Amino acid sequence: MKPIKIAMLSMTHGHTRKYFQTLKENPNLKWIAVSADNEEVRERFERDNHQVPCYMSESEMFDTHPEIEAVIIASANSEHLRQVEECAKRKIDILSMKIPSFDPAQYQKMIEVTEKADVVFHIELELHYNSVVQRLKKIVKSGTIGKILSFQATNITLSPVWAFPWQGIPEQSYGSRVKLKENSSRFRGGALCDHPHVFDMIRWITGSDFDYVYAATATNLRPELEVEDMLLVNGKMKDGTVFLFDPSWSRMEERLKEPGPGWEVFPKRMEVNISICGEKGVLVCDCFGPNVYHNGAPNDRYTVQYTYFDEWIGMMDEFVDCVRNRKKPQINLRWHEQTIKVMNACYDSISTGKPVFFEI
Amino acid sequence: MNTIYFDDRTKALHHLCEKYQVTGGGRVDGCCFKSPAGTVHLLPWRFERRIIELKKIIDSNTLEDISTMRFCRMGSGNLDDQIYREIDICEWLGKSKVKSIFAAYNGNRAVNMIIKLENDVSCSIECAVTMPAHADAVDHHEIIARRGVAFDRAVDTQIPQSSIYLYSGKTEKKYTDVDSELFGLSAEDAALVRAAFQALVEPAAVPDRHEYLLMLVTCARSSEKNKTPHLIAQEG
Repeated sequence: MKPIKIAMLSMTHGHTRKYFQTLKENPNLKWIAVSADNEEVRERFERDNHQVPCYMSESEMFDTHPEIEAVIIASANSEHLRQVEECAKRKIDILSMKIPSFDPAQYQKMIEVTEKADVVFHIELELHYNSVVQRLKKIVKSGTIGKILSFQATNITLSPVWAFPWQGIPEQSYGSRVKLKENSSRFRGGALCDHPHVFDMIRWITGSDFDYVYAATATNLRPELEVEDMLLVNGKMKDGTVFLFDPSWSRMEERLKEPGPGWEVFPKRMEVNISICGEKGVLVCDCFGPNVYHNGAPNDRYTVQYTYFDEWIGMMDEFVDCVRNRKKPQINLRWHEQTIKVMNACYDSISTGKPVFFEI
Repeated sequence: MNTIYFDDRTKALHHLCEKYQVTGGGRVDGCCFKSPAGTVHLLPWRFERRIIELKKIIDSNTLEDISTMRFCRMGSGNLDDQIYREIDICEWLGKSKVKSIFAAYNGNRAVNMIIKLENDVSCSIECAVTMPAHADAVDHHEIIARRGVAFDRAVDTQIPQSSIYLYSGKTEKKYTDVDSELFGLSAEDAALVRAAFQALVEPAAVPDRHEYLLMLVTCARSSEKNKTPHLIAQEG
């Protein structure tokens, strides 16, 4: 297969660095260029000596490299529509970060321009390619635990805002400045916006969609943030499955400008655990475990050292297949639309203190 | 010292009575202590070592400014009994009464709840009675604060750990002995006997919460029925 000539935009998303290895090692990709959102990002990229040209202007990059066939959009959520429109105009296929947009009109515009231009739009929900999750899905499908009665999941992390400030700025994360409640001093755009996976995963595992959702924020662990960092979500799916999600930033962090060793204060910086209760049994699952542990440099603290993150390999393989064979990715804009809707409904529930119901 | 091995809760209770010269007698029946003086509804989980230590961590301000508590209990038996237990732990550790409950049930076997306490602490409770009857309950209690997180489970584990794992022949066994005076009883049975013993020694110290906790369990069902957070009217 002819390698896809690919570029990366902005490089301000927390997952940016996770792609570097794949871009270098996947034989079906040829890494052409990157664009940097700001000077600090550019300096950091060039310091690592990737031997890939870095531009401060996306249009300059595209004009200089008309051979670019696909991009990874790794920017603040507020930049996505503009970048998608630019790519669609140039017929460039897109791998998007997990939140294309929270704004329904912007989201529809993305569907419209990408479908009209016939470009691939693959959304990065990498847990679909996680081998633990694949095993979980296989067990559920086998009927071993029977019909699912309840589905509980955590998607908890430290807060990335000190390294990726846009994630704490409502306009850049949520897309606009909307108060959590009428008299609240906090705004939409925090931990919930960072953690769509569990909302997506329950749809994928159960094959059902949301009936109603109820969400409540708790006292912020970081009072200086103007976005939410602690919240809980529960409700029911159309098939009767009840769920409870914790998508919080409940693990404290050192306020590093650049993620790296010693970022975590709590030993485990990230967790996606799923428990499923079925009519015939129970399954508990740690999507990123087991791991190894140390208390060495830099802080001599007990620390969970993750042992593998290979989701990106499978995800990029699917993206390559979709680009080369003009297929629709399993996580596309239309599939993901319901997930974005329910996340918005969580904010509406927080605002009103009541559940939000979805029509059939 | 000769270690006495107990496999019966009432015998263990009588042993404590004899040793500490406590009179009155009675027996453990479910979560109740029954004696000629009447029936006392016990709160045995408050005598579990791990729950006691979590309480100490909170009371000593080792954690500061609690935001959220996350509880889970998946076992077998009666769902309402599990809710009753977890709501009591929620109020005891949270040091406040329940202000509202939003509950989503799937029949009588699974429920998820978000509870708000009057002191603004949030709590999630996940309960299910879908574990096979032979399996130990899987539960956890996590308290998340601005300063610190306390948990009754080890970091990066999913199920309760045991003190001893024995692999021999075709069998695998595990043991967690927590009470040398009540050696042989499971941690939960030992807690139950301790709770019953307190009811004998210091009856006034046993909080009378049965009707109140039943009312909260009913409120959870009411929330499911009405699909709305159930606000609890507290007296005083």
